[in-house]
Formats: sequence, C-alpha cells, structure tokens
Amino acid sequence: MDRALFPEGLERCSFGKFVLWMGFISAFFLFGLYAMLLIFAKGIVVTGLDNYFGFGLWITFDLAVIALGAGAFFTGFLKYILKIDQLKNIINLTVIVGFICYSGAMLVLTMDIGQPIRAWFGYWHPNVHSMLTEVIFCITCYCLVLVIEFVPLILEQKQLNKIPFLHHLAHNMHVNMALFAGIGAFLSTFHQGSLGGMYGVLQGRPYAFREGFFIWPWTFFLFVLSAVGCGPIFTVLVATFMEKLTGRKLVDFKTKALMGKIAGTMLTVYIFFKILDTYAWANNYLPSVGMTFDQMFYGVIYGKWLMFTEIILCGLVPALMLITPSIRNNPTLLYTAGILDCIGVTLNRYLFTVQAIAIPVLPFDAWQTYAPNWAEWATSGMIVAYGFLVMSLSYRYLPVFPQEHSLNK
Amino acid sequence: MGLDRRGFVKIVVGGVAGTLFTPVIWKSLDDVSIWSQNWSWIPRLNKGEVKANAALSKLCPAGCAVKVKTVGGLPFAVVGNTANPMSQGGVCPVCAAGAQLMYSPARVKSPMKKVGEGKFEAIKWEDAEALLVEKLTALKGQNGKIAAICGDETGTAGEVISGLLSGLGNSGYYMMPGEKFVAEKGVKLMGGSGQPGFDIAGSDLVLMIGADALDSWGATVANQKAFAATRPTGAAATAKFVYAGPVLNHSAGVSDKFLPVPPQATAAFALGLANLLINDGAVSSASDFAEYKALAAKYTPEEVEKATGLKAETMKELAAMIKAAKSPVVIAGASFGQGGGALDFVAGASLNVLLGRVGSGMTLLPAAPKAVAGAAASEKDAASFLSEVATGKAAPGALLVYEANPAYALPQADEMAKALGNIAFKVSFSTYMDETAALCDLILPAPHSYERFDDALNPYGVAKSTYLAGKPVVKQPAMDCKDPVDVLLAAASKLGLSLGYDTYADVIKAKAKALGADFDALVAGGIWTGDAKGGSLNLGASALAKVAVPAADDKTLAVALMSNQAFGSATLATPPANLLVISDKELSGKDLLVQMNAATAKKIGVTAGAKVKLTGGKGEMKARVHLNEGVAPGTVGVLLGFGRSAWDEFTKGKGDNVYKILTVSDEAGTGLKVWAGSTVTVAKV
Amino acid sequence: MKAKEFKVTWGMVVDLDKCTGCGACMTACQVENNIAPMVDASNKMRTLSWMLVYELSNKKSGAEAEVAYLPRPCMQCGNPACVPVCPVIATDKNEEGGIVSQIYPRCIGCRYCMAACPYHARYFNWEDPVFPKGMEKALSPSTSTRPRGVVEKCNFCHTRFMQAKDKARQEGGNPESLPDGAYMPACAEICPTGAISFGDVKNKEHKVFELAQGKDAFRLLEKLGLNPQVYYVSKREWVRKLGDNYAATGKPGAAKKHS
Repeated sequence: MDRALFPEGLERCSFGKFVLWMGFISAFFLFGLYAMLLIFAKGIVVTGLDNYFGFGLWITFDLAVIALGAGAFFTGFLKYILKIDQLKNIINLTVIVGFICYSGAMLVLTMDIGQPIRAWFGYWHPNVHSMLTEVIFCITCYCLVLVIEFVPLILEQKQLNKIPFLHHLAHNMHVNMALFAGIGAFLSTFHQGSLGGMYGVLQGRPYAFREGFFIWPWTFFLFVLSAVGCGPIFTVLVATFMEKLTGRKLVDFKTKALMGKIAGTMLTVYIFFKILDTYAWANNYLPSVGMTFDQMFYGVIYGKWLMFTEIILCGLVPALMLITPSIRNNPTLLYTAGILDCIGVTLNRYLFTVQAIAIPVLPFDAWQTYAPNWAEWATSGMIVAYGFLVMSLSYRYLPVFPQEHSLNK
Repeated sequence: MGLDRRGFVKIVVGGVAGTLFTPVIWKSLDDVSIWSQNWSWIPRLNKGEVKANAALSKLCPAGCAVKVKTVGGLPFAVVGNTANPMSQGGVCPVCAAGAQLMYSPARVKSPMKKVGEGKFEAIKWEDAEALLVEKLTALKGQNGKIAAICGDETGTAGEVISGLLSGLGNSGYYMMPGEKFVAEKGVKLMGGSGQPGFDIAGSDLVLMIGADALDSWGATVANQKAFAATRPTGAAATAKFVYAGPVLNHSAGVSDKFLPVPPQATAAFALGLANLLINDGAVSSASDFAEYKALAAKYTPEEVEKATGLKAETMKELAAMIKAAKSPVVIAGASFGQGGGALDFVAGASLNVLLGRVGSGMTLLPAAPKAVAGAAASEKDAASFLSEVATGKAAPGALLVYEANPAYALPQADEMAKALGNIAFKVSFSTYMDETAALCDLILPAPHSYERFDDALNPYGVAKSTYLAGKPVVKQPAMDCKDPVDVLLAAASKLGLSLGYDTYADVIKAKAKALGADFDALVAGGIWTGDAKGGSLNLGASALAKVAVPAADDKTLAVALMSNQAFGSATLATPPANLLVISDKELSGKDLLVQMNAATAKKIGVTAGAKVKLTGGKGEMKARVHLNEGVAPGTVGVLLGFGRSAWDEFTKGKGDNVYKILTVSDEAGTGLKVWAGSTVTVAKV
Repeated sequence: MKAKEFKVTWGMVVDLDKCTGCGACMTACQVENNIAPMVDASNKMRTLSWMLVYELSNKKSGAEAEVAYLPRPCMQCGNPACVPVCPVIATDKNEEGGIVSQIYPRCIGCRYCMAACPYHARYFNWEDPVFPKGMEKALSPSTSTRPRGVVEKCNFCHTRFMQAKDKARQEGGNPESLPDGAYMPACAEICPTGAISFGDVKNKEHKVFELAQGKDAFRLLEKLGLNPQVYYVSKREWVRKLGDNYAATGKPGAAKKHS
C-alpha cells in the first residue's frame, strides 16, 4: 500500500502489520500524553517529586538519554572531522537516536519545570554563572543542529527527493554537514560537561560536590567522557535491537565492533579518572566537611552496592571487555558489554541526581526516599514510545542504513 | 529551480533575522512573566492604611494582650504588645493565627436552628432570641431545670450567666474543669483560701511537677517571658528550671533537668522529694509538720524509685539543687491543665510551704469584687454535672453553653455527648461550629475575639491579681453574630429580670471600676494589677495521707495527656495557620501518633509505626505508635486536640480524641472527679 | 563567582536554650507571607514552611533524654549555594544587607536551587494558593501571593526591611544604618521567649554583633563554606555538635576550613 514510499530497493513488512505495531506503541504514547496533559493542567503536584526530591526520574531520564544520545555528536565528529569513513554505515542512525534523545529530553524538561510558559527565560534572563543556563543554551542549540542533520535524511526519502528544490536543499545541507558536525561537537562537549558541572558545583551536596581542580576540568570531562563512552555503543545496541525486530541485517558487525572500540576506549579513560576522582573525594573532600564515605549510603535503596555496580560491574568490566579485541569481536560479548556500559552511565546519572539529594546533610535530618510515581513513568515511557515511533517511521520510509541492501542480498 | 549554496544561506539567515525583527514577539514574550504571576485565581492583596490596635486575644486559655494589625480596617496579623507587662510583646502560637481565624471555615455564620439530626437552618436573630426567651420563660423558677456550662475561666461573662441563672431561680452554673478549680480545692485542703499564683519571675529555681508552664499551663506567655528573663542569650542563666512529668515536653525541653515521672506517681514524687528535704534539715512552722514529716518518711528513695522509676541518686541531686537555691518555687499541675487531682496539687504546693515560700514564690490571690449581683461560683464542674445528667440525677430542660465544648473535651467524650442528648433544649454560644454546637438545638454565633468586648481576670497561675480588657478591633464582625452577653442581658430583661446592665461593655466597665482599674487604659492595651494576699497554709498532711500509689500493672499503660498550645484548646480546634506546626512525629495523614519509649513498646509488643487501638472505660481510639525516649516508663503520651468531628476540613477527622478513653474516678478524701491517672490498654490492630 | 561583601549584614542569632518549640514563629511567618493553609499539612514533603522548627534529640532515654528545638529560616548564606545555580537570576544576593532574594515572576520552577540548598530552606509551590472562602480578606499586605510552580523561601520579611528604611528616611535617619530593632522579621518579633535576636551582625551597636561571636555560637554546616547569616547559640555541647558533621573527625571544633 505504501510501497511507493519505501527506500529504494528495500523490503518492508506489510502495511497492516506496521499499523498494528504503531498502534501498539501509540497506546504507550497516548497514556504518557494523558499524564503530560494532566501535569500541565494540575502542575507537577501529580508526580512523586517533593520538597526533598526536586529532581527525580525526569532529570535522571534526561541526563541518561543525553548521555546515550551522545553517539550522534561523537560519531559525527569522528566521521566528518576526523574522517573515519567506515562510520558512514551508522551515522544516520546516530543522528536519529540523538534527535530522539535530545528532543525527548527537552519535552521532559518543559514538563519538569513548574512554569513551562517561562521555559525560555533561560535565554531572556540568563545567569551566566549557572551551569544550567549553559545546559539550556547548548541543548536547545544542539537540538537544532540535530534537526538540521536529520532534515537531509528526510529529504532523501524517495518521493520527496524527486522534488528538485528539496533534492538540492538536501544536497547543500550534506555538503555543509562537516560544519554542523563541528558545531554539534562543540556544543555537546560543553553541555555534557556542564551537566556534570551542574552537580559538581553543588556546595551543599557532599555526594556531588567537587572542589577546584576536581570540578574544572575534572568533573566536566568525566561527564563528557562517560557520555562518549556510552553513546556510540548505545547506537550499536539500537541497531542490533532493530535487526532483531525486523529480521534484517542493517549494519555490518565490523562497524559495530569499531563503535565498540571507540566507546570502550573512551570508557576506559573515563573509568580510570572516575576511580581516581572517587578515591580523592572519599579520602580528601568528605573528611574535610566532617563526613565519611559510609555516611553517603543508606540501607538497600541507597546502598553502596549502587556505587560498586556503577563503577566496577558497569564501568570497569565493560571498559575492559570493549578494549579487548577478542571479547569485542564476539557479538554476544560486545552487546553484553554495551548493555553494562549503558546501565553504568545511567546509574551514574541517577546517583548524582537522586542519591546526592537523598543524603541528609544536616546532622539532625533523616534520609528520605524517593520513588517516581505513575505520572513520571508514564511520561518517560511516552518519550520512549515517541522514540520508537520516530524510529519506526524513519526505518520504514527513509534510507537510514546504507548497507542494508548489500547485507540482505 | 536551482538553489546554490549562497542562496541557501541567504534564506536561512534572512528568515531567522526577519522573525526576530518583529517587536510583537518580544513584547508578548516578556509579558509572560507578568501574566503568569497574576492569574485571575491567585488572590490579590488588600490595600489601605496599616494600623496596629491593642486587643485582648482570648483564643488561648490565658488570653494574650496583643496588637492586631489591620490593612484598610481588615485584620491580617497579630503582634505582641510590648507595652503590656504581662505579655511583653510575646504572642502565643494560637493568637498568632488569630486574624485568619476570623474567616475560619468553621465559623458559625448566622444564628442556626436545628431542624433534624445534624441539620441546621439559618434563622434571623430576632427569631433566635425569641426562641431563647420562650424556652427560658417556660422553665423559669424551677430550680434544676435551667443549667449553663461556661468554658471561660477569666471573663466576667461567667458572672452574667451565673447571675441570670440565679435570677431565674436556678443554681445550675457549671464551669468546664480546669486547673484553677482543682487548685482552689487544694488550697482549701491546706487550710487556706483563694486562687494560688506562682511567681516564676521572682524565683531562682522553678520545679514544674506536671505543669507544662512554658507551653500550655497558666499564663503561658507571661511564664515564657519570666523564663526568658532568666536566660539572657550569651550570658549565664540566673535561674534553674526543672521539669518532672510524664513526657519530655516543651517545658522540659528548655529545662536544666528533666525527670520522667509517670502521671500516677506525681504525688509520690513530690512527697519523696519532701522526705529528702526534711532529712536534709528542712523544717516548717506549719501546724501539721510532724504529721507531714511522718508521712513523707514513708516515701523513701526506694519507694520513689518503685513508683517513678527515678534513681535515688537523681532525687538526691534534685534535692541538693533545691537546697542550694535561694528562692525556689514548685508548680504542680496536670500536664494538660485539667483532670488532675487536688492531692497532686497539694503534694506539690506543700513543698512551697516546706521551703517557706508561701506568700513569695507561691501566692494566694484575694477574691475580686463582683460586677453582677447574685453571681455565684461554680460548685461542681461540668464533668460531674453531665455525669449526673447521664444517670438521670440531674434533669435540666434547657442548657446554655458558653465558650465551652463539653461534647469533645470531657472524659468519656462519647458518653458526655450522649448525656447532652437527655437535655431537651440546648443553646450554644459559640464562634465556631464545634462538637457541642453541632449537638445543640439553637446556635447563637458569638463574635471572634477581635470583634467583641471581653475581659480576663486572674488567668490561672499569675502571681498577682491581674485584669485585662479588650474592645473590638473591627467595626463590623465578619459574620452575622452578636455578643452572647448582650443577647443574655436582652433575654433577661424580656424575662423581667434586671442584671443592671444592657451590654457586656457596661459589665466590663463596672468590673474595672469595682477593681479600681481604668477601663479606657485597659482597652488601650493596659493592665491592672493588685496585690497578692499573704496568708498561711499548712502542709495538707491529713489530705496527703490519702495519697495512694497505684500498683504497677503489666497490662495497662498510664495515659499522659500532652498538650501543645499551638494545636488549639478544648474550645478551639487547631487554627488553619497552625497546621504546619504539627510535626510528622505527631500526626501522619489522618493518624495520630501516640508516644511511648522503646522499652514500653517492647513490653506491650508493638513497634514504631504500628497501628494500635487504645481502650479505656467505654471508649476506644485509634492511633499509631511513635517511639519517644522522653516518655516515662509504662506510659503512653497522647496529644490532645485531635479527632474533631465538627469544625472544618482542616481538622475534622484528623487523629482521634483521647478524651474518649479517659476514665473518671473519685479522688480519695476530696470528692473531686479526676482523670489524670487514667490507664488504658494498647493493642495492635 | 566570588561572594559579594556587604557593609550591612542582616543576621539572626537563635538561642536554642530558650526556644520552647511553641511554633509561634512558624505561624507568624505563614501569616506575614501569605502562605495558604494546607488541608493535609502532615505531608511534610509538600508543605511550604519558610520557617521550620526542627526537634533535635540527644538520643538518650529516661532522665538522660534531652531535646532542643531549632527554628530554621533561610540562612541567607554569604556564599549561597542556590544563587549561582539559578539559570534565570530569579534569586540573587546583591542588595545591601545580604538578604538572598527570590523573584517569583522570574522563577521558572526548575528546582535546581532546592537541590543546591542543604538546609532545605527552599520550597516549591506545588499548588496554587487557595485560601478558605473569605480568608483572603486576612491576607497580609507585605507579600504577594505566588502561583504554583515557583520556588519560594524566607527573605527575612524583606518588606519590613523596606518599610524600616522608608521610616528612617521620613524621620531623617540613615536608612543604610538602621538602629537595633528598627527592622525585625515576623518570627523574631513574635517569639514569646525572645529566642530569636535579629540585627546587623557587622554593626557593633546591634546586639547580634556580640551574640554571633559568643563562644557558644555556631552556624549550621559551617564546614561546607556557605557562610550562613543565621547563627545559633547553645550552652549544650550535644546541640552544638548537631550543627555540623563531625563523623570524620569525631569532635566538634575542628578547624573551620572555609570561612
């Protein structure tokens, strides 16, 4: 039925099956949309956030998807600036994943702030000292860059591309893509770093606070490195997941392994500095404010196991796995390492967001616990569903994977 | 159509720049900050001149001399009256919320007539007053047929009500139980007369036995000011404070020493202390010293430890502290201001006699002249009266309730509410729709404190005769209400009775004149003080001989009633502005948290947070457990003021009412009804 | 960003040995600042308590048990954690007197400042202010009501500061050097035991100047270096010890690293 819209020479599932699939995903999306409208109508009082946990699932979600979406800028940087040509096999996917992650994060942010109609005040009344201002600037700008990077791919749709104006437009945008990749890399480095800085400057939160050198450049680069250490492999996982869903080969394993190698290298550098950072924090900073390492943890919900899982099981282990060629070149192990890697970085963002503010800093205060409620899950789920929808449409109608034709002969 | 690279850039740049040059966008965007702040549903502030007028805020039991701040004539805040020597600029947390209480959703907005179970209909004042006169005319002259319950200990309104009843040939005027009533009985048992007072400011050691003097006993703000004067910030304290009572409460929190004493062991504690002091050489010229000494000797440190759990060493330290003090004073009272026995009072007060502090630390106030002829003092308290109504021993046909809430604030509250049902015609003079008003046949709304004339003579605890008066702060009450005293005086004249006054303001003027005070100065925020009477007291040994220390019981816990002034009083549910003050260790959602120490909890098999049922007498209440190491062993601390069944959404149905499980007993030798020693069983649900 | 220095530094000295925990300060604060009453105020995770009285315990039992009450307004930190993080300059510490401002029409409600403040002095307006019918007539003219979705906090009753300066100007005094007691926040004014002293901690003629330097004076979490303008006083060591974290060193009085 919609065969005429498919990318040149590629097969897709039946339209009925596709509608069914989209309907299934839309159910999640609509449920989240309901929650979102409720939040806009009644305010975030309908969420599980409270006086102690002003930040919760949403901020964790934002930070995590921004880190996982880092594949876009970093791959773009490697492809267009450093000219690693093999990455052309996956670059389109990284752009789409990045676009979904960033646009989704921005949507979540508008829900998360108490006065959504003042969301643009970050531009209008910017506080240049605030890391968040920098984040707002860079994320919105970079999201625009991602739109610009995504547009030519849309214009390459078989029917659209027949229109001469659009064809030329797409071509011109492609020609300038190195410029956008450069801008993207610049912006991304800043906001990824600033996201870390956001927590690193919290002088009243000993879990997150770092002093002097440990904030700039240390924490700044820890966040950049952790993002580029997981973003590329996340794209690989997305590609593999799509392969499982569609039953078609989309990206050759060589490219995937290369992405794993890139992520692994970055992750290794990251985890090395992260361990140093944690050691210095526990042994120097914490005692200087009269606190101990043990005081940072509580029960099971905020137990030490979280930090060990983050740094060792989901940090050091995947780093070693990814930099070891024999492990990396085994698909199962590559994907396992990738999953661990992504969990580790997500956990890192969670700990800096939630654990950092759960710790009672006032000695007479008590630990408080936070659990997101249905409204937060539903809206976060909406973003995931939105990602599935965009990805499904893109896969069905756009020439996302240059190798697809040859790999499925 | 072709588009080259330059053309492409031009389109992008031109488009962006063009959009930005339209000022409409920028202007409307900037306005967002204004209109997103001023939605139509966000309340606006009131404008007008800001003034502060002196007022007598009788929202708390003792009454605070305050200044009410108004904007354009509307009260909005309460500040202290620094010129008034009693409150010295301090305000209690209830009066601090006074302005907002004028608009409490619980206020009775107009006269109401009961038209069915829990149903009322608004009626006109003239109809309401006619109904009142009609009912009273029918019962006039039949003693026992008209009764009144008054919950205002200090106002001259009580005289008017009592005088009215006398004029109608009735003697059924009853006060709600209060500390003053019990203390006056106690003074009689010690061979004296009058209302006792305590000079905290003039003492260098204040031993509070049960009395939560720095939060909810006596003239709280005056007590707090006296306490504060001895604790200059940054310098050495000039007096010591010791609190001995069942719970580490607000008074104990700032005291130098806290001694956990279970509620039933108060007298034993005092007598044990007397024993140590006598052993240490204390003597008294009181006629019954020998008898007292022999009695006290029975309260050896071992006995005291058995009764209270306090170590001999602790008691010795306390005795030494008292001995070292130049001017100690002992204040004994129930931790919540009522239901305590006279013997507990006598046991505590006897220490003042023993220490030679009667007339200085502990004073007796002379009887004040009356403004209304024929006014008599309440012989019995309302709890005793309603018990008689319950059993049919008393059968009044009409009941006037003034500033009192007997359906809520008497022990076995449910039974008391039932007893009220035996009375055919009940009138409530209340500002708020309280539990009692909700049971009455006619509700005649009383003005809020800042809308009426009122006075306060000798709030319990003051060391010298003290008189305060106040006039309305606002021109018009916020609701369609009338001063109850004015209503009663008008009714009296229709009943052919002259009490000598037309309005409450006239009554107060006369009272001031009788005392020798200047009415105008009083309503401008002044104060009148008289002298304390000297007088000698004996040690009350013959009464104290009847003190019984109840044997410890493994199955039941003693109830320690905890009062927190901010949470309201018997006649006032927690004001909306005070709800924040209730901590999450006291109320969680709709569950009241009862307090006990870990050892007690273990003994009865409950854990922190457990839902429990407390049973006492015919009543039961639900709560959850909070572990509090400041509660005496074998004791459960329960906050007063919760479990409202009327009032408003801010208080109704929150927690449970501890009065329901208090049991009344007769005190040996005094004829008083007491419930301070109530015990309950606590079981997990 | 370097902390700004002020000639006048409004500060509080709270005598914890005098605070009975009665709560009058919380009520007065709520009244002065038009905080709408909450039907379920027992959910402390959603309340607005610009002034909050904490109960401190020495964790002992029986006759050894002690409690202290600690009123916690905004600390108006000299080196605030909240101000530099705000993305839209909705909060600032820029005015002579050193009060940390909060501009409600500017605030976007991102709550970053709340995450930054270790004292939990900042509150998010979860719902629009709803007063029981008629009670809006008792609104204080001092503080505008805030819509939902913005962060708010104690500002030392800033309107009173402006009024005190106006009064000084009218009476020919110096608004930049107010006499002791000319400016008092609602909580300090109402406190029945006078536990809360207020004034310019840099002005020798103000009582708080000396009190803040007393040997028993301390500030909360001094080691974090936020340099609060609210001081506490207690003769009880266990209370002073609860003012900061000493878990690492075990004893209070360790060198103050930052201030």
